[in-house]
Amino acid sequence: MDSSDEALDIIVTNVVATFRTRCHLNLRTIALEGTNVIYKPEVGKVLMKLRKPKITASIWSSGKIICTGATSEDEAKLGARRLARCLQKLGFKVRFSAFRVVNVLAVCSMPFGVHLIDFTKNNRPIASYEPELHPAATYRIKHLKATIQVFSTGSITVTGPNVQNVATAVEQVYPLLFECQKPLCK
Amino acid sequence: MVCGESLYPPKQLLTFFCQQLQAKLYLSIIDDVIDSMRELFLDEGLEDRVLDDLRHLWESKMMQSKAMEDFRQNNINSSNFVLQLPASYNQSDQELTGDPILLETYRLTSKTSSFFTLATFSLPAALAYPVQIPAGVTLQTASGQLYKVNVPVVVTQAPAGQQPVSHPTQKVTERREAPASHPAAVQPHPILPHEVEPSSLPASSVTQPKTSLAPSQESCLPQLSPEPEGTLAETELSPQPEPVNLSMTQLVPLQLQLSERCHGLTVNFLLAFPAKLDLDYSYSVLSDIVQLDGPADNSDLEEGDGVPLEENDFLGIINAEAIKALQEGNGSSDGNSISSSSDSEGADDLADVEEEDPLNSGDDVIEQDIPDLFDTDNVIVCQYDKIHRSKNRWKFHLKDGVMCYRGRDYVFSKAVGEAEW
Repeated sequence: MDSSDEALDIIVTNVVATFRTRCHLNLRTIALEGTNVIYKPEVGKVLMKLRKPKITASIWSSGKIICTGATSEDEAKLGARRLARCLQKLGFKVRFSAFRVVNVLAVCSMPFGVHLIDFTKNNRPIASYEPELHPAATYRIKHLKATIQVFSTGSITVTGPNVQNVATAVEQVYPLLFECQKPLCK
Repeated sequence: MVCGESLYPPKQLLTFFCQQLQAKLYLSIIDDVIDSMRELFLDEGLEDRVLDDLRHLWESKMMQSKAMEDFRQNNINSSNFVLQLPASYNQSDQELTGDPILLETYRLTSKTSSFFTLATFSLPAALAYPVQIPAGVTLQTASGQLYKVNVPVVVTQAPAGQQPVSHPTQKVTERREAPASHPAAVQPHPILPHEVEPSSLPASSVTQPKTSLAPSQESCLPQLSPEPEGTLAETELSPQPEPVNLSMTQLVPLQLQLSERCHGLTVNFLLAFPAKLDLDYSYSVLSDIVQLDGPADNSDLEEGDGVPLEENDFLGIINAEAIKALQEGNGSSDGNSISSSSDSEGADDLADVEEEDPLNSGDDVIEQDIPDLFDTDNVIVCQYDKIHRSKNRWKFHLKDGVMCYRGRDYVFSKAVGEAEW
């Protein structure tokens, strides 16, 4: 009955990944010669934006790079490699290593509203709700390391370490939400 | 006054004005540089002549590349103007009646000291015609003569290449005597047959500070177009002859044809703006101005502007076309990837995705640079006040710069722009 596979669109909106170049990077060189770069000397990093996988990367001089903005894990990897390639062309001895997806953000919309107070009461320690601080109830799934934010409209945002976890988290939370649903006032 | 239109001069005039200013600016820069170099050159043992040669070379290159009006040289094509009153201008109409003072001014044939105008424009040789000149504008030629426009006129361009030098001299001279005495006299003058815009007799008195009429300045003298029946494009002219008070000095490289529809009026072409502006533009492009090359050497221009490119600290170089190029270029450059050589880590493609980098020197990774990123001709060299970005929307507050766009140079002290990446 409550099969959570029923056409619930989980839309991945952001994938954050990091990788290392295993070499020191001269930020000034990157800033001067790179294309589509923003230099932030006060923070000590360079932002490089790519168009093709729409990605923004923060590059540190230690060689650590954080890639954000991708819409899938594969895209994140592709973008990261492209980025490394760009840096290689700038003259740095870049080795693409330690690529790992750090965070995945997805949104999902329930076909019903959720009564947050009831939801929180039912899931006492796992869910928390402070309406004065934030309009959504937070539900953390420890073993999945996923965090779900539930809004009274039935929209939820899920963040987790990878896409699979996120999907699982949605499936897990669906029945709980279903219990506390309230008809959306239209 | 009558006008519902803005009192600002039309855009073309502002443009011309700016161009004129810009030309002066560039020339003054050249002057400065050359002068300050003079000593150095002498110290080095180089002749003054060398410096002068350099200067001429520089100037000529600059003139060429920017299609600026070059009032120092004679070879810019001179344009014939026809100054016409716009169709709607009516003697009997409002603006004059409502303003008796103006009327008086209009009647004045001799130059008064009422040169003081709200706006002064120079009509460069490279003018795009026809141009609407609102009343109240002072036209100043490159050589400094002033024409005060009392009545809104339309300056159109007769076919280029007319050089009726001799005619106007006589006419002008004879008119010069005429002015005071023939306020109401009709003075038809033979019009040049190939005038595009026939016009009736102008009753315009153009007075300038200088009164030298000698055609020594090579450019043509303004002429009167005498066709009484002037059927102007816009105006329907009454065939009545108008008093012609025409004391013209030559406009270096211009030829002015004054034709005007006013009855019994002498027009002083120097004024403040009261009259109604009839703004019908038929603004034609500077097609007949020879533009020798497009953006030419950016290096030349930048040298001329004295803005060296090497100082990166405070200069931002922004490429307008680069943005476009980026947008399209991306898709195309993918896929040509690289069997290219740079292969330092090629070896490690095998196993260890985790540790070692399968970068394959780009076999897998596709290039996406846009090769001609900075190759475009539209460049802005300037300093920045503030550059702001929100997601992919950029806002620029720039200052003190030169923009080369479509081969023309625009100098600015402030520029604001927006772009999407």
